[in-house]
Amino acid sequence: MVGAALLVGATVVILGACLLLVILVVAVRARRHSRNQRDEMLLSPLRPPLITVASGEDDDGAATEELTWATGVSRTVLDRNIVEMLTKIRGVPADQLVRVLEVHGAVDAAVADLTSRSTVRRARAAQLLGLAKAEHTVPLLVTALGDEAMEVRNSAAYALGPIGDPVAAGPVLAAIGAPERGLPAATAAEALQSMGVGISEVLRDGMGDPNPRTRMVAAHLSGERSFTRGLPELRRLLDDDPDVTVRETSATAIGRLGRGEDVDILVRHTVDSEPLALRRACVIALGELGDPAAVPALATLLADADPRLAELAASALLTMGPDGSSALLGHEDDAAVRSARLMASLQRASA
Amino acid sequence: MSAPAGDPDASPVRVLVADDDADIRDLVEFKLTQAGYAVEAVPDGVSAWEAFEANPPQLAVLDVMMPGLSGIDVLRKIRESGHPSVPVLLLSAKSRDSDVDTGFAVGADDYVIKPFSPRELLHRVNGMLARAR
Repeated sequence: MVGAALLVGATVVILGACLLLVILVVAVRARRHSRNQRDEMLLSPLRPPLITVASGEDDDGAATEELTWATGVSRTVLDRNIVEMLTKIRGVPADQLVRVLEVHGAVDAAVADLTSRSTVRRARAAQLLGLAKAEHTVPLLVTALGDEAMEVRNSAAYALGPIGDPVAAGPVLAAIGAPERGLPAATAAEALQSMGVGISEVLRDGMGDPNPRTRMVAAHLSGERSFTRGLPELRRLLDDDPDVTVRETSATAIGRLGRGEDVDILVRHTVDSEPLALRRACVIALGELGDPAAVPALATLLADADPRLAELAASALLTMGPDGSSALLGHEDDAAVRSARLMASLQRASA
Repeated sequence: MSAPAGDPDASPVRVLVADDDADIRDLVEFKLTQAGYAVEAVPDGVSAWEAFEANPPQLAVLDVMMPGLSGIDVLRKIRESGHPSVPVLLLSAKSRDSDVDTGFAVGADDYVIKPFSPRELLHRVNGMLARAR
C-alpha cells in the first residue's frame, strides 16, 4: 500500500518536473523570439544604410554618417549587427563599419569588457577587437590568452590573427604549452596562419620549445608558409625529436619546402627500424619533394612488408616523371602499383 | 561604379544570387543592382534551381552551404542541364584547398572566399561576363 502511494507520488513529481521543463523551454524560446522581433524592428530603419556601407556603395559617406547617429538600444542592436557583418566582408566597407563602431564607443567598451566578470562579455569583447583590427589592444589580447576561460583564450587568439601583429606570434605559440590555461594547437595554428611573414623567426624559436605540441605547430606552419629559413630546425627535429608526431610533421614540412639535399635525410628515416607512421610520412615527403635522387630508395620500398607503405612508394614514383615510371617497370602486377595507379586515375577524374 | 558594358538600350544582364545569409544576399543584390544588373535574389538552393529553370540568368552567384540543395548541388544541376556555359561564381566560407578544388571540379568559373570584398566580387562578375560574351 505504501509502495503504491510512493510510486504514484514519484510519478506525479516526475510529470510535474517535465511539465515545468517544457514551460521553461517554451518561455525561453518565446523571449528569444520576442527579442529578435524587437531587434529587427529597431534595426529596420538602419538596415538600408548598413547594406549601402557594407556593399561599398557609400561614396559620399552619407550612409556611414546615418549609422553613427544611432542611439540607445538601436545603437546596441546596430553594433551587434555590424560585428556580425565584419565576419562576412573585408576591405574599405569593413573599415567604414569599424569607424562607426569607434564613433559609437563600442571599441572602447570592448577594451573595458576584457576585464568583465562575465565570460561571454570577455569573449565577445576579444572578438570585436579582432574584427575591428584594433592594433593598440594587442597587449590586452595577449594577456587574454591566459584568461581562466577557454572560450576567452580562443577568442583572443582568433582576434590576434587578423590584427596580424607579429609581436603576438610568440605569445600565441607559447600559449599552446601553457600549463592548465593552454590554447588548442589548432586554434593557435589558425591564428598564426593569418599573421604575416614576420612570424618566421618566432616559428624557428618555437621548434626549440620544450612542449612537443608547440614544436609540432611551429614545424607544421613553417612548411605551410614555406619558411625555408626553418629548414635546419626541421632537419634537426626529424632526426632527433623524442616525439614521433613532431618528427612526422617535420618530414611533411621538409617535403613541402625542402631541397635535393633533403632526399638523404628523408630516406634515412624510411628504414624499418623507424616507427611506421614516420616511415610513411617520409615516403610521402619524398614524393612531394620530387627529386629523382629518391627513385632507388622508393623502388626498394615497393617490396616493403607494409602494403600501405609500398603503395605510397609507388604513388611517389608515379609523380616523378620518366625516372619514376622506369623504376616501376616489372612491378606492374604488384598490388601496391596497381592500387597507386588506381588512386592516381581517381584523383585525375575528380580534378 | 560603372554599369556593365554594352548597349544602353539593351535590357540589363540578369544575375541570380542565392545565399541563405540575408546580410550577404542583400548586400550582393544591392551592389550588383547599383552596377546596373537585374538581380534575382533567393534564400536557398531549391529556390535557386527553381529560379534558374524558370528563367535562366546570364550569370549565377551561389553560396556553397545552403539548406536543401547546396550551391555545389545547384551548380551540378546547372551543368547537367542544357546550360553548361552560364558562368557561375561560388561564394563560400569554406576556404580549404580541397573545397576550392571541388568547386572548380564541378564546373564553377570562379570561387570567392568569405569574408570577401564586395568591390572585388563586382570586378569578378564583370570579368566573367566579359569573357562569356
